[in-house]
Amino acid sequence: MAQLLVVDDEANIRLLYAQELSDEGYQVVTAGSALEAVEKLQESAFDLVVLDIKLKNESGIELLQRIVKERHNLPVILCTAFSCYKDDFSAWLADGYVVKSSDMQELKDEIKRVLTKRQKAAQAAG
Amino acid sequence: MDWECCWSKDEITPEGCPYIGDGEEDLYTSHRRRVVEKCVECPRFKNDLARMKSTGQPLAEVLPYILTEFQEQKAQMGAMLSFLNSKTREIKFLREVGLVLQTSLDLDEVLSVAMTAITAGKGFGMNRAFLLMTDKERRNIRGYLGVGPKNYEEAWHTWEDLSRSNFTLKELAKNFQKTKLTSEKVKFHDILSLLTVPLSDQGHIFNRALRGKKPILVENALNNPDLDRGLARILGVDTFLVMPLISRNRRIGVIIADNCITHKPITLQDMQSLETFAFPVAFALERASLYERLQEEVAKQKSANLKLREQQELIVKMEKMALVGKITSSIAHSIRNPLMVIGGFARTLLKGTAEDDERHGYLESIVRETRQLEEVLSEVLDYSESLFPVMDLWDLNKLLSSAIDELGTTLEESGVVCRQELASELPMVRVDYKQISYCVKTIISTALAAMERGGELKVETELDGDGVLVRISDSGTALTQQAQDALTTPFYLTQEMGGGVGLSLCKTILERQGSSLSIMNRPGGGNTYSIRLSTRKEAI
Repeated sequence: MAQLLVVDDEANIRLLYAQELSDEGYQVVTAGSALEAVEKLQESAFDLVVLDIKLKNESGIELLQRIVKERHNLPVILCTAFSCYKDDFSAWLADGYVVKSSDMQELKDEIKRVLTKRQKAAQAAG
Repeated sequence: MDWECCWSKDEITPEGCPYIGDGEEDLYTSHRRRVVEKCVECPRFKNDLARMKSTGQPLAEVLPYILTEFQEQKAQMGAMLSFLNSKTREIKFLREVGLVLQTSLDLDEVLSVAMTAITAGKGFGMNRAFLLMTDKERRNIRGYLGVGPKNYEEAWHTWEDLSRSNFTLKELAKNFQKTKLTSEKVKFHDILSLLTVPLSDQGHIFNRALRGKKPILVENALNNPDLDRGLARILGVDTFLVMPLISRNRRIGVIIADNCITHKPITLQDMQSLETFAFPVAFALERASLYERLQEEVAKQKSANLKLREQQELIVKMEKMALVGKITSSIAHSIRNPLMVIGGFARTLLKGTAEDDERHGYLESIVRETRQLEEVLSEVLDYSESLFPVMDLWDLNKLLSSAIDELGTTLEESGVVCRQELASELPMVRVDYKQISYCVKTIISTALAAMERGGELKVETELDGDGVLVRISDSGTALTQQAQDALTTPFYLTQEMGGGVGLSLCKTILERQGSSLSIMNRPGGGNTYSIRLSTRKEAI
């Protein structure tokens, strides 16, 4: 069972993610800030991070850069309220992008796509 | 007495004197001029004088003294006259050249005048001249221009042409600048390229001439151990003049002049004349090269100013964009997040509510309405974004690959195989990445819609002048003209397909970025969508 870390500064959205993604069979851990996310990342191993690009008083991009730098193999899907993420080149480091929506099907598809891709790559690498 | 010479006769016939030539016929009748110009040098007159002397004529004794003196004076006068003539010519010539040199700021014009003056018969009449100039870094003297014939045949042709024409020096120089300046630079390229000498090489004759500020006449160079034989070998002559060009103590360059064709000796007079000439030439060359450098600097300044203005405009535009971005981003967050929470929880509740429960209908309404609000929000945000395309240089092949990659799952599900035929080494295209990526994905989705039973999608790129052509082809049903119109007109409804804004928005985006979208039926069935994207900076 894949373990996901969801980072969003809104409690309701974290709750929503946790419910919906758990229903899909994932083990979900949530974090409300970049700092908390870093702590959670140190505590346990994750298969994927779902990251809101805009966290209160800080940028999700910075956290993304840190994750990419420190954990090359941990895939990240960026969630945003507005498709402006591509303005920042560093956002290109992410493995997937999803525009936030009450219909979470797109996010679920994206998680499945990224995890499958990783799995295939890992198999190919032996 | 019967005299041998005709000096005693007032008028004579042509047989009377063998020394009167063509054009001097008036001397037959002009007694005084004949005696002064011809008789005094005539051997027959000398015989007559000897005979006179033998007869005891007292005048015959002193007459030879007077005659000798007269002849000497005449010769001196002749020499002075010739000197005067040459000086007059020189002054006239210097004045003519000086006028151009004083006023011209055009380096090519100065060069043409100076080099023509040195080599033209009407000027100093040297066979050949080379101009060497110190480089901008003031490290080396470098061969810059050579003027003159390369061999006898060329010399003969050139001089014959010139002897037939009656051009002034100024006209000759103008002619030279117009027709020969470039070709002469090429003609003597071999010699000029060998004439580079470092200014630090103190012993080299160029530097010696520059240091001494005096021309140096090199004679018998091939046999003179004190001289640089290499230079004589390069020039192919053993006698040449090295004239320094100095302006206000600045070493401008050196002129080498020689008579490589006629081998006429270079006289002290030639040297002095050229020395007088060297000063205005050096001054004019310095001024013209300074002017040229000034022009370069002005051009640099101008382009810097232009760049600055562009940057300023860009900053203003970016500030506007940033403001729009900030506003829309803030709207996006403050509306989308609550919508997501409302709609998301409604969906969760909906899953746990029985269909016959009346709350099921309410929850469905909440889900539907939030979805609609989200769509409206997306449209508003997309539109505000498309107002300010962020033009930058992008690798189109990468853009296409990543767009295809994003649609990987959809392609797989539709049973469509994607073949990429991307041209290698394409130049970067100037586009808004996001918008073009959107267009490509929309076109691919449209193409997929025409291949309901699967098929092949082909994506090609190709260099097309100053642009890059993208062709996306499907193997599905060929679209009718009406269907094509429907696709590119917003909210157009046909029986074949639903209405939407997809391709019509693509068309608008592409047109705004100076591009276009065309749809064509493929000969073997299917459709090809073509986009041409510009690589030029000023496309927008």
